Amino acid sequence: MNEIITVKDVSLIYHSKKFETLALKDISFKIEEGDFVALVGPSGCGKTTILSLISGLLTCSSGEILVNGLKPDKKSKVCGYMFQKDNLLPWRTVEKNLYVGLEIQHTNTKEKKDYALSLLKKYGLENFKTKRPDELSGGMRQRVSLIRTLALNPKILLLDEPFSALDFQTRLKVCDDVLKILKDEKKTALLVTHDIYEAVSMADKIIVLSARPATIKNIHTLTFGRDKTPFVRRDMKEATDLFQKIWSEIQDEK
Amino acid sequence: MKNDIKNNTGKKNKLIDNKEEKNKQTLNSEIDNKTEKKSNKKNKPKYSLEHKKFLNKIRLKTFFVIFIQITILIAFFGLWEILVNNGVLDGFIYSSPSRMINTLAELSRSGELLTHSLITLKETLLAFVIATGIGFLVAVLLWSNNTIKRILEPYIVVLNSLPKIALGPIIIIWFGAGTKAIVVMGILIVIIVTIINILNAFLNTDKNTILALESMGANKAQIFFKVVLPSSFPDIISTLKINVGLSWIGAIMGEYLVSKAGLGYLLVYGGLVFDLDLIMTVTIVLCFLASLMYFLIALLEKIVKARH
Repeated sequence: MNEIITVKDVSLIYHSKKFETLALKDISFKIEEGDFVALVGPSGCGKTTILSLISGLLTCSSGEILVNGLKPDKKSKVCGYMFQKDNLLPWRTVEKNLYVGLEIQHTNTKEKKDYALSLLKKYGLENFKTKRPDELSGGMRQRVSLIRTLALNPKILLLDEPFSALDFQTRLKVCDDVLKILKDEKKTALLVTHDIYEAVSMADKIIVLSARPATIKNIHTLTFGRDKTPFVRRDMKEATDLFQKIWSEIQDEK
Repeated sequence: MKNDIKNNTGKKNKLIDNKEEKNKQTLNSEIDNKTEKKSNKKNKPKYSLEHKKFLNKIRLKTFFVIFIQITILIAFFGLWEILVNNGVLDGFIYSSPSRMINTLAELSRSGELLTHSLITLKETLLAFVIATGIGFLVAVLLWSNNTIKRILEPYIVVLNSLPKIALGPIIIIWFGAGTKAIVVMGILIVIIVTIINILNAFLNTDKNTILALESMGANKAQIFFKVVLPSSFPDIISTLKINVGLSWIGAIMGEYLVSKAGLGYLLVYGGLVFDLDLIMTVTIVLCFLASLMYFLIALLEKIVKARH
């Protein structure tokens, strides 16, 4: 399979008036097309920073990143970014929210709009298209947010703790939905999460980061239950074992 | 009432007609009547008895509030009139509603009321429109460029704390004792507050939402029009409401200084010749005009909100 993201010896320093912080140190990893990769690590270690670098919102201090063969650029339309907050615009209807990205990229064509609406229909939200975001539940909002990102047809999805604002039951449900959507649409995804179970139940590959400055501590490739939903996979024996292993790896760092 | 609701499928119109013939209507049935008529027109779903009771309760409350408001107004002016008539208050010092009505009639007959009101209204509107417009544009500029914002910040802070009336003599010398000076005074009072309020609204836009749009490749202008401006809308409207009051202050203060024409001039003149009837009348006219302008802004808010 093709390598779609290559991160090589990347370091990043955050500058502020009083001090500089080395956030990432010599990070290297590769992601292949169609993979679902999870990044886990102690809180504040720089997981989100890696996503920002790949999406082009930040530039690395040293090292090299290639996304789809090119340097990251937020205007390149290769990556879609999904945040912890759904960031839907409250004054727009669900339908109009879906078009925001298209309007920004000046690709607001009938064809693309229809594609966005077809996604909405496919994932059971068609009846809500004239509603405002605050009339929707948290889980529905997060799904609309994902469809808004998918409407731009990105090759790669960067997910920054997209489920952590949801209550536990909704989270399990939306996890299943989102993974299904991503697999259906054949997207590559990079998920940042503090929830190891979430990583274990969704990912093909888990990258464990050390405490700040973040280095790569371990990379696990998951082979069990790949055809199962996260909900089922979560309870498999292998998942529990892997959870214990990653848990102790992260605990060592604290 | 129960019967009405039970029968309201078929004989509703007839029932309403019957009711209207009876002049003795309780408030409840009157309200009920109205809702039925409305639901008739728009074909709304029929409400349960409990919901109708709930709606009646809300309407009664609103009616009560308006009733008390009007009562206070009447009581205030009524008491004023009575106290002056009975000699408790001196009409020469305190004027009275009836004297004010006479003055108002005289002023309207001579055309003075209209002339002076129009002059002040024109000055107020000019100051309001110019200051709000320029203030808005400056706020956009300061939002879009952090360096310019940092450079100008101390100047804005100083100008904001400066009592603008202190600039009166300078303004009159520079712009002449006329409309121009008064409008400039109004602009100075309104513009700084506009800049500060609107800029704050812009800066308070949710950072995450901006980041989300940036990740889609939005440029500064797109971020402004798609997120910052719409999310600042409530604050912009409240700034407009504040500006209405401030531009009236500017115009009246300007007229105090220039003292040639306008409602502010009438007030100064009334003070000089000790004509309390004139002062009170003009004050009431001012109240009326200012609230009229306020309600126009509130109307604008409703229209814009309904559209989006």
